[in-house]
Amino acid sequence: MSRKQILFVFVLFLSMVTMSSALFAAEKEVKIGVLYPLSGAAATIGRDLQRAAELTAEIINNKTPGVDIPMAQWGGIPNLGGAKIKLIFVDHRGEPDRGADLAKRLILDDKVAGLMGAYHSSVTKTVSAVAERYGVPMINDSSTSPELTKRGFKWFWRTTPHDDYFNRDLFELLKGLTEGKVKGIPAVPKDKLKNLAYACENTEWGSSVAKSLEGYAKEYGFNMVKGILYNANSPDLTSEAKTLVAAKPDGMLFASYLSDSLLMIRTLKGMRAQTNFFWGQNAGFEMADFAKTLGADINGVLTRTVFIAKLIKVKKVAGQINALYKKKYGDDLTGATARSVVGVQAWAAVLNKAGSVDPKAIQKACNEINIPANELVMPWAGVKFDSTGQNVLGRGLIGQYQKGADGKIDLEIVYPFDLATANFIYPFPGWK
Amino acid sequence: MEKVKDALDFTDFSGVERFVLVVFSIFLLAFPWLGAGSFVKAVMIQFLLFSLFGMGWNTIGGYGGQVELGKAQYVGIGAYTVSVSMVWWNIPFWISMPIGVLIALGYSFMIGYPLFRLKGHYFAIATICTSLVLQDIFTNWKLVGAAKGIELPIHEHPDFLYMQFKSDTYYYYFIMVLFYIALFYMNWFRKSKLGYQLRMIKDDEEAAESLGIDIRWCKIKAYSIASAFVAVGGGFMAVYNLYIDPVSVMDLDLSIKIALMAMLGGAASLWGPIIGAAFLVPLDRFLGSWLGGHKGLIGVDFMIYAALIMVVSAYQPRGIWGIVEQLRGKGK
Repeated sequence: MSRKQILFVFVLFLSMVTMSSALFAAEKEVKIGVLYPLSGAAATIGRDLQRAAELTAEIINNKTPGVDIPMAQWGGIPNLGGAKIKLIFVDHRGEPDRGADLAKRLILDDKVAGLMGAYHSSVTKTVSAVAERYGVPMINDSSTSPELTKRGFKWFWRTTPHDDYFNRDLFELLKGLTEGKVKGIPAVPKDKLKNLAYACENTEWGSSVAKSLEGYAKEYGFNMVKGILYNANSPDLTSEAKTLVAAKPDGMLFASYLSDSLLMIRTLKGMRAQTNFFWGQNAGFEMADFAKTLGADINGVLTRTVFIAKLIKVKKVAGQINALYKKKYGDDLTGATARSVVGVQAWAAVLNKAGSVDPKAIQKACNEINIPANELVMPWAGVKFDSTGQNVLGRGLIGQYQKGADGKIDLEIVYPFDLATANFIYPFPGWK
Repeated sequence: MEKVKDALDFTDFSGVERFVLVVFSIFLLAFPWLGAGSFVKAVMIQFLLFSLFGMGWNTIGGYGGQVELGKAQYVGIGAYTVSVSMVWWNIPFWISMPIGVLIALGYSFMIGYPLFRLKGHYFAIATICTSLVLQDIFTNWKLVGAAKGIELPIHEHPDFLYMQFKSDTYYYYFIMVLFYIALFYMNWFRKSKLGYQLRMIKDDEEAAESLGIDIRWCKIKAYSIASAFVAVGGGFMAVYNLYIDPVSVMDLDLSIKIALMAMLGGAASLWGPIIGAAFLVPLDRFLGSWLGGHKGLIGVDFMIYAALIMVVSAYQPRGIWGIVEQLRGKGK
């Protein structure tokens, strides 16, 4: 490039920068602070969450053809004079105290109308405490610790179902199995399913999943023959896997992050562990890397989630937004990223209903909002908060990894039964 | 009285240093009124908190020369005592915090007694181990919330007894008072008998022993003083963040940060830990906040942070204060 060309490009760039800032300044905007783990151990997931939230804000801010929801044709928030949603992202690195400091920055310095985030339940705890103290609304899109909505907060709402819902889903699926409701297979006698065993990681999330699983097992009349808590950073899970195998359960249940879920499945494979089914409580089991790394070995493994790309077969909006996301970033939406989409959608709907950025008006709108099912990418009945701030219309999915005719592993929906996209594989076909 | 006079006596420092201290103090006092944003205020609170931790660490780690990497366990003891007594028995902060310090002191004697049979690397490793063991116990201890941690109840109205305020300014002044108490204490400490004994031990343990100094007892005392300091900070963390869990108050990361700030600033000097915290805390928080949310720049803050630490420690092992002294021609 000659010097003149460089100069030209430079001037062009400068003029674009000044032009665009001048344009933005002329528009009204509503600021929402978004706290995600953009670096550190959960950086990959944080990046995906950020992408999904940004894409959704773009869809709402600009009239987007081909997405069949009213919101996509708004071009800004109608009741706020077409104001655009501006998401301000900050990185909490999964540290609760950093999250709290950043929340103060967003509330007092950036003067945001509300907050969204923060993925880690522990960070959501401190961030929501700050929001509560300052009386600023926070809509949580993706933290699943049941306790978050049991604290009597007045400024906290959660769109995603929490872990109690997901654990109940598993037992509903098992009950359905015994009653012959599952697509593609006859009823399984209950004594072939009765004995279960779990291995959960030992921090807040895993230990509360373990407790809830034991409760539901009792309620639904199953036996928990063995339960272990393990350290997710452990370099070796042989003794844990041995304990599980020795208990001879009919099904093995896990709450694992990514690296430990890979290690656990590999160790179990090495032992040629025999059981009727494997189920993972999201997290590791649901990540794209889980399927990429383990390949055909996980044919038949179950995972709980809230979004599966196969949903596009049964839900049009999900397909349209998923297509936009895939075109831009090359991946399908997952349970985690689809929740970001709903988080931003909920914010847009709430702001529109409130018709103001006054916290009191937003609070009132949150308590009264009712987003219908057909506007969401999720297979939920909608978004409607109860008095604790929990969305009561959400529901989970259970997916099963299945090897297609082309040899590729795909996640198929097996629960809820009315959404099932494939025949259930039962029992676990065994290791290759 | 004599001790108080000693603590307030800064005359052995050069005029420049005293001038800077006065200017810095005026700045600290006036800071909340300078119109800084809340994030800057939160960073200042972190700076004062880590200065407090660093000054505590400096007794055993700096003057005593014992590389100690387990301070987080005492932060945890302070934080958990305050939280548990507030949640279970509704005990005000002003009672639970001293109790936490006493527990930390007692525990530090228990740990310090066997630990100071070890020297050098072995001692450093042992301090890490005791801290990790305590963290594991708290991670599995159902009574104190195990891995879930403890949430403190939010009071609707500001409450001085329970240290609950809506505005960070109150927290700021509170931690500033703690900071000055620590500073004056350290100013006395470095001139105290124990301070001289520790420096002697650091230079030559055998010589110190031949002079009749009870080495192990000296180290234990310094270790306990350091533990009391960080336990106070831990109590503050609990009421400031209103939520603690074993990872946020007892992690190895925290222990290393405390030691790193003091060492990078300049161990065994009064100003070192403060300079270290003034350098690293804003660097960490601001870089993370400015760069962290921008695509393509994620992770860059870590690189800058790490590079600066490497540059300083490679250039002058005595830390930033060492560089300052070198520039002033006092490099010894």
